[in-house]
Amino acid sequence: MTGLARPQGAPFAFVIALLAVAVAPAHAQVAPHQHVPAAPPIAQQVQPEEPPRAEDHAGMDMSGVDVSGGSTKMDMGRMQGGKAPPDARDSNDYADGYRNSSLPGYEMADKLSIPKILVDELEFATGNEGQGFGWTVLVTRGQDNDKLWLRSQGLKNSGDRLDPESSVEALWWHSKNPFWGTLLGVRQDLGKGATTWLAAGVEGLAPYWFDVQLTGYVGDDGRVAARAKASYEVLFTNRLILTPQVETNVYSKRSTDRELGSGFSNVELSGRLRYEISRKFAPYVGFVWERALGGTADFRRADRELVTEHRVVVGLRVWW
Amino acid sequence: MPSFHSFPIARRRFVQGLAVGAGVAGFAPALLAKSLSASAGELRGTEFDLEIAELPVNYTGKRRVATAVNGAVPAPVLRLREGDTVTLRVRNSLKEMSSIHWHGIILPAEMDGVPGISFAGIAPGETFTYRFEVCQTGTYWYHAHTLAEQTGLYGAIVIDPKVPTGSVPDRDYTIMLSDWSDEPPLQIFTNLKKLSSYYNFAQPTAGDFLKDVGSMGLGKALERRRMWNTSRMNPTDYSDISAATYTYLMNGTTPAGNWTAIAAPGEHVRLRFVGAGTATFFDVRIPGVALTIVSTDGQAVVPVTVEEFRIGPGETYDVEFTMPDGDARTIFAQSIDRTGFARGTIAPAPGMVAPVPALDARPWLDPVDMMGAMTAMGGEHAGHGMTEMPPKARHARTEYGANTDMRVDYPRANLDDPGAGLRGRSWRVLTLADLRTPTGDPDPREPEREIELHLNGNMERFIWALDGIKLNDSRPLHFKPNERLRITLVNDTMMAHPMHLHGMWSDVEAPDGTFQVRKHTVVVQPAQRVSFRVTADAMGRWAFHCHLLYHMAAGMFREVVVA
Repeated sequence: MTGLARPQGAPFAFVIALLAVAVAPAHAQVAPHQHVPAAPPIAQQVQPEEPPRAEDHAGMDMSGVDVSGGSTKMDMGRMQGGKAPPDARDSNDYADGYRNSSLPGYEMADKLSIPKILVDELEFATGNEGQGFGWTVLVTRGQDNDKLWLRSQGLKNSGDRLDPESSVEALWWHSKNPFWGTLLGVRQDLGKGATTWLAAGVEGLAPYWFDVQLTGYVGDDGRVAARAKASYEVLFTNRLILTPQVETNVYSKRSTDRELGSGFSNVELSGRLRYEISRKFAPYVGFVWERALGGTADFRRADRELVTEHRVVVGLRVWW
Repeated sequence: MPSFHSFPIARRRFVQGLAVGAGVAGFAPALLAKSLSASAGELRGTEFDLEIAELPVNYTGKRRVATAVNGAVPAPVLRLREGDTVTLRVRNSLKEMSSIHWHGIILPAEMDGVPGISFAGIAPGETFTYRFEVCQTGTYWYHAHTLAEQTGLYGAIVIDPKVPTGSVPDRDYTIMLSDWSDEPPLQIFTNLKKLSSYYNFAQPTAGDFLKDVGSMGLGKALERRRMWNTSRMNPTDYSDISAATYTYLMNGTTPAGNWTAIAAPGEHVRLRFVGAGTATFFDVRIPGVALTIVSTDGQAVVPVTVEEFRIGPGETYDVEFTMPDGDARTIFAQSIDRTGFARGTIAPAPGMVAPVPALDARPWLDPVDMMGAMTAMGGEHAGHGMTEMPPKARHARTEYGANTDMRVDYPRANLDDPGAGLRGRSWRVLTLADLRTPTGDPDPREPEREIELHLNGNMERFIWALDGIKLNDSRPLHFKPNERLRITLVNDTMMAHPMHLHGMWSDVEAPDGTFQVRKHTVVVQPAQRVSFRVTADAMGRWAFHCHLLYHMAAGMFREVVVA
C-alpha cells in the first residue's frame, strides 16, 4: 500500500476478476527484461511501416509483441523501464569535468529524508470467530529511492488468540525501477511460537494500478515462507474509495506452536470502503473473508475452530 | 478529437477568498487604493530599499503569514529605465535565509540571486546590495529563489526604454497571476512526496467508467483507459496542486476581491501579465475583447491577435487592446486543471462588474500528450501540423532508472499546439508558433553544438529530474565563453514544464531549425521537443530549471557553468 493507485474506474466485479490474476503480472514485471506485453495503447494509430521498430531497441525488453491482434503496434514496455542501450548518452559529458557550486544555501530539497507513517488499517473486527482488533501499519523514512520500512500487521481476537501472521518487519527498501522496489530485512513474528525470519521481497505498482507486495522469508527454525498481498483502489468518488485486497501465506514446513501447516496456509479476501474526510484521515467499514488451507485448516478443525472466518470491520485509515 | 473527451467532470467548489486579502493588520486601505491603480505600489528610480518581512494576511478566512516586500504582496512594481545602473538594497527581516532573483534580467552572475549558485543567500537580519546596469526593456519580474516564492515574495519589473519608442498606451497595468495556499510550502512539498495525487480530486472514478460504458460500450470504455492503465499514468495530471489548497490571485487579490483596472471607452490599454504561479499555468482571456500579444518575456514579438493565451510560471506577456465600449470586462485566468481561477475586471469606473465565465470541464489529456509524434503519425489525433516523422530522441543512460517513469522516443516537434485543454477551442488561442521576434536572430551564428536534455520524472513518487538525474546527483552543463549552442529539450512527462535559463537568452527555434523567438522561459509541452539557441556571453554559474517551484525543489534543475 505504498503508492495510492489512481484507478480508472473499473467496476467492482471487474476488479475482483483482475485481482485474481494480479499476482501473475506482478511476477513478470519484476523479472528483469520480462515485462508483460502491455496492451498497445494507440493500436490503430501507428502505421506498420513506420521507422521505430524493435531493432531500434537493441537490448530492450520488448519485441513488439501484439497481445490484442492486428497490426504492429507501439507498446508501453518500450516507454517504461528497460535497460539503456549501449549507445545511450551520458549526461555527465556535458559537464566537461566541472562540478556544481559549493556555496552555502544550495537547493537541497531533492535530498530530503521524509518520514511517513501510514496506519493503513486500524480496525475493530467482529465475526464468526468473535471480536478483536487488527492493524496494518507502514512507517517509512528516507529519500526517494532508498527508505527504511517498518511494516507490521496483525489481528488479535477476543479469545486472546493472535493471528499467526501477526508480525513486525524492519526492511531496507531500495528502488531501481520507477514502479518497483526491493525489500531486504528481518521479520519478527508476534505471539506464541514466534519465529525470526530473514526477509527479501519486492513491492510496487503493477499495470492497471495494482499494489503488490511479495515477500519471501527464511526462518531461524529452518522454515521457508512467503507472503503475497495485492490490492486495488476503486474510486466511487475522489473521496469514497473501496480497497479490495487479497493476501495469502505459504510455509515450507509446519509449525505446531503457531498451528500452521506446510503449504498454503490461508487466503484472505477483503474489501474496505473508506471516506477521505481529508487525504490523511479516512474512517472505513469493510468485510473480510478468510479461509485456512491444508494443514493449517487441519489444526483449526482439531481445535474445533472454523476453517472459514468472516468478519465485519470498522476502522480508521490515517497517515501523516 | 472524439466527443467522449468532453464529459463534464464534477468539480469542487473552490475558495474564491475574501474580498480584502492581504494586509489585515492595517494595510487594507492602501490595498484597496492599489486595486484601482497599479501605479500605487510602484517604485521608480535607481536606488531601492527593499525589506523582506512577514506580513499577516487573510485570503480565505484563515489568518496566515505571507512573505512581503515593503509590506506588500505582491511586492512593489519596480519601474526601471534602460541604461541606468540600479542599486537594490535588500534587507532580510525573516528568521530564515532568503533571496531575490531578478527573473529575465541580464546581469552579472553574482547579482542573480540564486542561493548556493550566485551567492550564499541573504542571512536573517542582513542586507545584500544588488547592483547592475539595466540593458534591456520590457516586462519582467522578481521573486524569491526559495520556497518563499509560494508565500508571496514576487513582484513585477517594468523597464522603460531610454529613448521612448512606439506609442505609449493610455493605460498600463501589470497583472501578476499567482497561487496562494494556507498550507506552508514545505508541507505542500512533503504531501506531494508522500502522495503525489494529494491535491487531485478529479481523478477518473468508477462512475465515469460506467458513464463511458453506457455511452460508448464496454470495449471502447476499456480501450480508452488502456493506455493510461497499462502505463500507470493519470489522464487528469494537469497540475500537481489544485484549488483544493490554492486560492488564485490577481495582483494579490482573490477572485471575490475582484482586482479592478480602469479604462475608458476608446482608451488604448496595455496589460503586462506575469506568470507568478508557483505551480499553476493560467489560461487567460477577456471575453469580448481580442488581445494583441505585443511581447513575451520582455521581448517584442510580431503582434498577434488572439482570444486566449496560456501563461506558464516564469513567463510574461504584454497584451494590448482598445477598450471597446463602456461595459465592464472580466479578466479571467482559469487554472490549467480547471479547478479554480483568478479574476479581475477592467472597466471605466470602479465597482463595475461583468459576468464571470464558468470554469471549463477538465478533459483528459490526449494520447499526443503521452505518445508525442507516435500519435500524430496517422491517428485520429493528428492534425497539429505533423507531416513527417521527427528525429528520434536520444535517451541518456540515466533515464533507465527509478527517476524516470516514461520515455518518449519520438517527441512531437510542432509548436502550433495550444496545449491540452485548449485544443478545439472555437476561438483563436495563442501557440508558441505564433510568437516571432520581429528583428530576426540576435546572433545569426549557427550553433556549434547541441546539448540534448530530457525532462522527466516519476509522478508516483513525485521525483523530477533532467536526464533522470536530480540536481544534487548531477553535474553542471558547461558552456564555453561566447559559444553559440543549441539546447534541445524533450519532455518525457505528461505535464508542461516552463524551463528557465538564468543569465542568458533562450532563442527558440522553429521546427525547421531557424530562429523564431527570444524568451527567458520556454514552456515544453508533454511529449514535445523544443530547441533553443544560447549565446554563452555571461561568465559564471547560473541556474537552469523548471519554474514549477516544486519540480525545481524535487530536482528538475541543473547548474550551468560558463567558463
